[in-house]
Amino acid sequence: MSFIVETEDLCKRYGDKMALDRLTLRLLQGQVTGLLGPNGAGKSTLLKAIVGLLQPSSGKIEVFGRKPHWSVNARIAYLPDRAQWYKYQTVESALHYGERVFPNFNLARAQRMAEQMGLTPSDSVAALSKGLEARLHLILCLAREAELVLLDEPFSGIDLVSREHIIQSIIDSTLEQHQTILITTHEIHEAESIFDHVIFLENGKLILEGETEVLRSEQGSIESIYRGLYR
Amino acid sequence: METIRIGDFSFQLDLTKPLYEQVLQQIRYSVARGEVALGTKLPSVRELAQNLKINPNTVMRAYQELDRDHLIETRRGQGTFITDNLKIVEQIRQNLAYEAARSFITAMKELGMDVHTAKSLIEEGDWT
Repeated sequence: MSFIVETEDLCKRYGDKMALDRLTLRLLQGQVTGLLGPNGAGKSTLLKAIVGLLQPSSGKIEVFGRKPHWSVNARIAYLPDRAQWYKYQTVESALHYGERVFPNFNLARAQRMAEQMGLTPSDSVAALSKGLEARLHLILCLAREAELVLLDEPFSGIDLVSREHIIQSIIDSTLEQHQTILITTHEIHEAESIFDHVIFLENGKLILEGETEVLRSEQGSIESIYRGLYR
Repeated sequence: METIRIGDFSFQLDLTKPLYEQVLQQIRYSVARGEVALGTKLPSVRELAQNLKINPNTVMRAYQELDRDHLIETRRGQGTFITDNLKIVEQIRQNLAYEAARSFITAMKELGMDVHTAKSLIEEGDWT
């Protein structure tokens, strides 16, 4: 078993607030992990720490066995919360742009996903609805043949049909590329069936983690466990 | 709960219980009830995962267990099929009936019923 991400006693302090508080966790290769918790639990902070966008205050974090570094990021596809794309481009030119700027970008796969997800190549990015723009961001992320995929709130503010399309793309992605995927989301009911593993955070601390199927047999749905933890 | 049909198979997933067990059990039932003919091709892992919106690992785990029971078999280059061996299907049907009887007995015991009452309930029941 190899770990793609490993943290030990990872801390990130902002003034008095601990955004990550002695966080110890591991992501196993090939698994889809749900990173869950209320706003401010530290989910986005952890993703940023993985791609080296922020410097930990203390503790250890290793990605592919190394300290986070821009040179490791070629192996990571990261969809940040509130992603933006160039409004002057069309869907098709965005995909071609993706091919130029991202390492290991599979243009054919991106075009196929765009078709499956109902995006019209000639449509202007500026004219896309929120749901369609979210699908475009996801395609630009999942079409990269990256070993690790980090999706920060890929479903937030997205309509039901778009959410289902996104879930189906994630399923395809795990099958075709055997990627390790970390997803933060509040849409637990819809997303929980694709998680192999879930991690619950609160105030920067890990409060529960486990294999989804084991947690289901012991405690019920991930959604109900979530309600119990944060009530 | 929503029923999802894929070919002759139908599924109803409950997120409060392990999903792989449900996929496994519902395929067994589809075959034992005769809804799915012997030798039928199973949906691919991708097709089932996509339609049920579940992790492909969950489907693979269920298929592995069905394969171990010899209820399904993989033919190289062709896909995965329900066995055409009637004996195996009959065995699975017996196992499911045995499990159903056991849960009936458990439920009766929990209600404080004895074997005679339970028997008469079965005999009075509508078997048509």
